[in-house]
Parts: sequence; C-alpha cells; structure tokens
Amino acid sequence: MGPTLYRKKGPLIVFLLPAFLFLILFLYYPFLQNIWNSFSHITGLGTPAQGLNQPWYGNYVTLFTDPKLRTALGNTVLLTLCTVVFQVGIALILALLVDSIHVGAQLFRTLYFFPIVISATALGLMFNLIFLFNGGMLNQLLSNLGLISQNIDWKDTDHFLFTMFAPVMWQYVGFYFVILVTGLNNISQDLYEAAALDGCTGFSQVRYVTLPLLRNVLCTCLVLAITGALKVFDLPWVMFGAGMPQDQGWLTGTYMYDQTFNRGNVDYGSTIAILIVVLGVLFSNIANRVFKPRDYI
Amino acid sequence: MKKKKLLALALTAALVSGILAGCGNDNKPSNSGGQSASNVELTVVTSYGGDDGNRKNYENAVKSYEDATGNKILDASDSSNEEWKAKVLTDFQTGTEPDVLFFFTNADAEPFVQAGKVVDIATIRAAYPDYADNMRDSMLASAVDGKNYAVPSSGFWENMFVNTKVLADCGVAVPGPDYTWDQFLKDCEAIKAKGYSPIACSLFEVPHYWFEFAVMNNGTLENHLDIPASADDAAGQKWVAALNDIKDLYEKGYFPVNTLTATDAETVQLFADGEAAFLIDGSWKVNHFVDNYGDQLDNYAIAYVPAKGQRKASEAIGGISMGYFITKKAWDDPAKQAAAVEFVKHMTSDEVMSTFVTTEVTALKNGASPAGLNALQQAAADANANITGVVGAVQDTVSSECKADLFANVQNVVTGKMSAEEAVNSAIAQN
Repeated sequence: MGPTLYRKKGPLIVFLLPAFLFLILFLYYPFLQNIWNSFSHITGLGTPAQGLNQPWYGNYVTLFTDPKLRTALGNTVLLTLCTVVFQVGIALILALLVDSIHVGAQLFRTLYFFPIVISATALGLMFNLIFLFNGGMLNQLLSNLGLISQNIDWKDTDHFLFTMFAPVMWQYVGFYFVILVTGLNNISQDLYEAAALDGCTGFSQVRYVTLPLLRNVLCTCLVLAITGALKVFDLPWVMFGAGMPQDQGWLTGTYMYDQTFNRGNVDYGSTIAILIVVLGVLFSNIANRVFKPRDYI
Repeated sequence: MKKKKLLALALTAALVSGILAGCGNDNKPSNSGGQSASNVELTVVTSYGGDDGNRKNYENAVKSYEDATGNKILDASDSSNEEWKAKVLTDFQTGTEPDVLFFFTNADAEPFVQAGKVVDIATIRAAYPDYADNMRDSMLASAVDGKNYAVPSSGFWENMFVNTKVLADCGVAVPGPDYTWDQFLKDCEAIKAKGYSPIACSLFEVPHYWFEFAVMNNGTLENHLDIPASADDAAGQKWVAALNDIKDLYEKGYFPVNTLTATDAETVQLFADGEAAFLIDGSWKVNHFVDNYGDQLDNYAIAYVPAKGQRKASEAIGGISMGYFITKKAWDDPAKQAAAVEFVKHMTSDEVMSTFVTTEVTALKNGASPAGLNALQQAAADANANITGVVGAVQDTVSSECKADLFANVQNVVTGKMSAEEAVNSAIAQN
C-alpha cells in the first residue's frame, strides 16, 4: 500500500496544488505586481497607477542618490553583523553553559526563550520605558549608582544604535539558544567520555568536540539570523518611528514602510521592497556558501 | 484505494475552498449572518483614542448608543497624528474603511471624498430628513465638489498652556493678550536659568503647533492660509521665517534637551510635572489635564502665544475641522444604513455634544450646554473671551504628503542639516 502511494504521483500533486496556488496568489503574483509598481507612478495604496514614471526607471536611479536609503542600508548591514556576533554568539555561549548543568536546565530554556513569545510591539513599549529620558529605568539606575549626573538621551545620535540594536538582539537570542541546545543534546555523551579519557576536558572539549559537531546547526542559525536581520521592522518602528534621530535611525524595512504608508510614495516603496528582496537573496546565498553544512560530520 | 482517493480529494477540496473563502469579499447585506436591525455591528474609527481628553466622554456616548439600540460598536479609534491620518486614508484605498468615520473635513478628506467613498448629507437627508437637523447648515464643511459630507463635531482652538507654578518660581508673569516675542525670549532665558525647560514640545513628533503660530507671527490673519508655490514667494518667505524662528528657539536651548527624540506624550508630561513652562496645544488637551492631573489644575492656565510683527497675541488658531462621515460601504448595506445614521445622530445630538464641549464652538443651532467648568476650563474660557481673531490651520489646507515632509524636516532645519528654504521647497513639491 505504502509504496504504491509514492509510485503514483497524482495524489501527491493534488496535495501540493493548494499550497502552490496559495503561494502563486499571495507571494509570486504580488511580487511580480510589485516589480511593475516600481516602474509606475502611484500616489496611494489601492489607487490606480497614473502611468509609468518619467523615466520609467526613475525610482532605481533614486535608490542610488537617496541619502536616507544609504543610511538605512548602512544600519541594516550593521544590524546584520551585530546579529551574527551577538545574537548567535550569546546564544551559543548560553547554550554551552546550560548544556553543562544538570539542575535547572529546563528553567533556563524557558526563561531564555520567553522573549520570543512576547509581541514586538509590547517589547518596544517596554524598552521605551527602560530607555526613557525622564524617569526611565536605565537613567534612574545609573543616576542612583552615581554613574551619571545628567540623564542620557538614549535615542540621540550618539546612542541610538545601541538602543535600537540591544532589544532586537535580546529578543531573538532565546530562539537560537533553543536550536543550539537541541543540537547539543544530539551529540552523543560517548564522545565526551572518550574525549575525557584522552585528557580533553573543559574548553578543549568545547573547541575540539562540541563546536565541530555543532557546526551544521550553527550554520543554520547563522543563515536564519542574517536573513532575519534584513527583515527587522516592528521593534525599531515602535521605539524609533520615522527615522529618529534626525533621519539617522532608518532601517530598510522602516524606510520602506514610511515611504509607502506615511508618504504615499507607493512606487518608491515598491522599489525599496525589491531592493530588500535582492539583498535577502544575496546575503542568504553568501551565508549559505560561507557556512555551508558539511555532510561528513 | 478508492476510499483513500476520495478522502484525498475531499481534503484537498476543503483546503482550496477554505483558501478561496478567505479571498472573498462579500458586500451583500449581512442579515443572513443572524444580524437583525437591532443587533448590528458597526466599525467606527475616531480620533478619540489613546490619551485624548474626550476619550471618556466618547466611551460614555458609545455605551449609551449601544444600550439604546442593542447595536454593537467595534471601536478602532486612535490618537490623531499624521500616521493615523495616513492609516485611515490607506484603509479607504484598500477597501477596509470603517462604517462611520470621525475625521478631518479639510484637504485630508479629499482622497476618499473624491473617490466617492463617503455619502453626502443631502443624500442621507433624502432618506432620513432629520439627519443633522440640529446643525446650522452654514457651518457644515464643504468639500471640493461643493457638497457637505461630515456632520460637524465640536470645534477646536489652539493656544498656549502655561505652568503657573514654574512661572512663579522663575518670577515670570502669566502672559496676557499683549504678550510680545521679545518678552517671551526674555522669559525663556529666565526660565532656562532656573533649570526648567522653557518650552515643552517634541520637535520630532508635533512641531506643527509652533509652526502654525510662527507662520502667523510672520504674516497676518488674512494671509495666514496662503499656500506657497515655492520658498521664494511671499507665502514661502513666511514659512521660511517661521522655520527659522523655531530654529532660533532650538539653538537658544529653549526646547527640552531631548526634543528631537521625545514623543508628544513625554513632553506634555514634562509640562504637567512642572519641569517646563510653556506648551502650545489644543482644546482637546484641557480634558487630558482634567483627567490625569485633576489635583494640580491650579498649576495650569491658558494664556496667549507670543506675537511679533503684525499679529496680536490675542489671535489664535481655531475652527471646526472634524466631523462624522458615513461611508458608502455602510450606506449601501441595508443592515447597517439605519444603524450608521442613528449612530451619527446620537453622537452629534445636543445632549452628547454638550458632554464633549467646554469652551469650543459648535455648529449646534441651540448651542451646547456644558456642565460646570473646572479651574482649567474656566481659564480657557477666560482666555477665549479675549481672543480678537481666529483663523484655521494652514497645515489643514495642504496634502498629507506635504505636511509629513515639512514636519519631518523640522528636525533637520533646527540642527542645520537642511535650510528652511530647502525644507519648504521639498514640502511644496509634495503638495
């Protein structure tokens, strides 16, 4: 019975069709329409295009001359790099630490994963209170410890990158932590015992046993983190809104949203969306090549 | 095997129909859904959301409507700002507009009025003759096509709130109707020297209050509503001078340290908590202070925005700029039409309007009858009694895109990243 089901491709195709139709309707058709929109002149969502842009490739020229987009791209690339170093890095350290304890491991798993289940909007509001200028938790803490005499504006041009990136890092550390802990659990204890017999313990064990065996999981985490960073929108938008401070806080996602929904510049927003997709494909390809999983492990 | 095929086909058909059902947009009356005339759900969007001073009054009015009719109001109100306006317009463009909308009646409404997405009052009166019959028709806002669409709510005024406690501590007198710009600068210096923020304002989020009066200060009441064609013409020069006045205040350090990163709520709290002296805001803010700082109302007063040039400090921004629209979608739905009409009639009735009004003008034929005024409301009434001229906001006569661009660039002007001329030209290009 089983084998015949797979020999006949008909039922499989029937089952694949709905998902395929769904993707065509809600992903590929809008994407193609979005490409067309980027050449058109559209002044509002849902309003018909008023012909093609003059010149039709005008928005793509603007991409190269728009200083705010340059800022957005710079910030997004920086966020991606920070994601690799801090999100996955901290998750790895936490996973290694939790894996080496026996009591309370489940508690730590739950605690570190918890931020994932909270909505980004709620997190944004919470961090807004933490970083508030007057009466914010952080300023109060630093002031009470005698470390500052005047409140720090955590969203000004000197501090906004930290204020924007820290909550994003914090939010997703738990996600990669859980993946890495699961990967660590799959490493056989026999290997650790054999390594210990050979005198390989502590940090050496991590360096020569754990990390090589965790490589594929780590690579998956890195690819997910890089592509995820390109799509970050909600938390920075709640905390910083439109480009705060002084148009230096744009990300590609927030800039696209602002152009499309607040400025009514739908065609340019579509162009930025295409840029985001191109960057996503490019970055994920590079990440896939650099962190290519190995079959021999 | 046949059974399995049938099962597979049935599952697939269910999945496909489920997906396609989600894509459908049935505009037919929803009576079949079990809703009766007395059990209608209306989606309503207003600006009485967030920390709006009339939020409680709005909730009470909605509840009394629900109790009286058995209908249910699905409220999607929010605070009014440029983002909210953009969202409302987007809802119309994407076909997800509410049944009843409380919105601006000026240029902001043009996109959905021109698209025929709202119903004019004459059409409604043809079926419901008593619709808005308690309003003075001469005060109904006219759209570009000359028709009236919105039933006006209470009007508004914008003026300067002052924290009298801060002023007293700094030895500064509460500004009178003859308050001058030069005196204002001296007062700001004295207030700053005492360690307070002279002006509570988020230049990031709500620079428009100061922009509006700064434009008035560089022109006259008569030419206040002139729209520039560029930064070089007379109206453009007014706008440029206005932006430069704001820049001057910023450079002198009269705004809060974090004015470029703070929200409106943060700077209003700064004022309310006695850490800032002056706040330009609107009539809607009076109830915000009443609701949230009821025990400190004696610390606040409504004074006058300092004047320079030909303007007098007793001239202010005001008018009736918002009203209730019934959307075409609700009008064409037999199950919702009567409910929507009843809702607007209820919200704009003399009784309900009187709960919203304290010192604002209305279009009611009989006028509103607000209950006893508290200290701050009385201060507003006293200040309004001395007002010698009122004009609408010039920002209400330009497109949303123009406004968004202009106000987003205020921060760049005050920090010197962009000249005032560049900011005006950039905004006008969007109009």
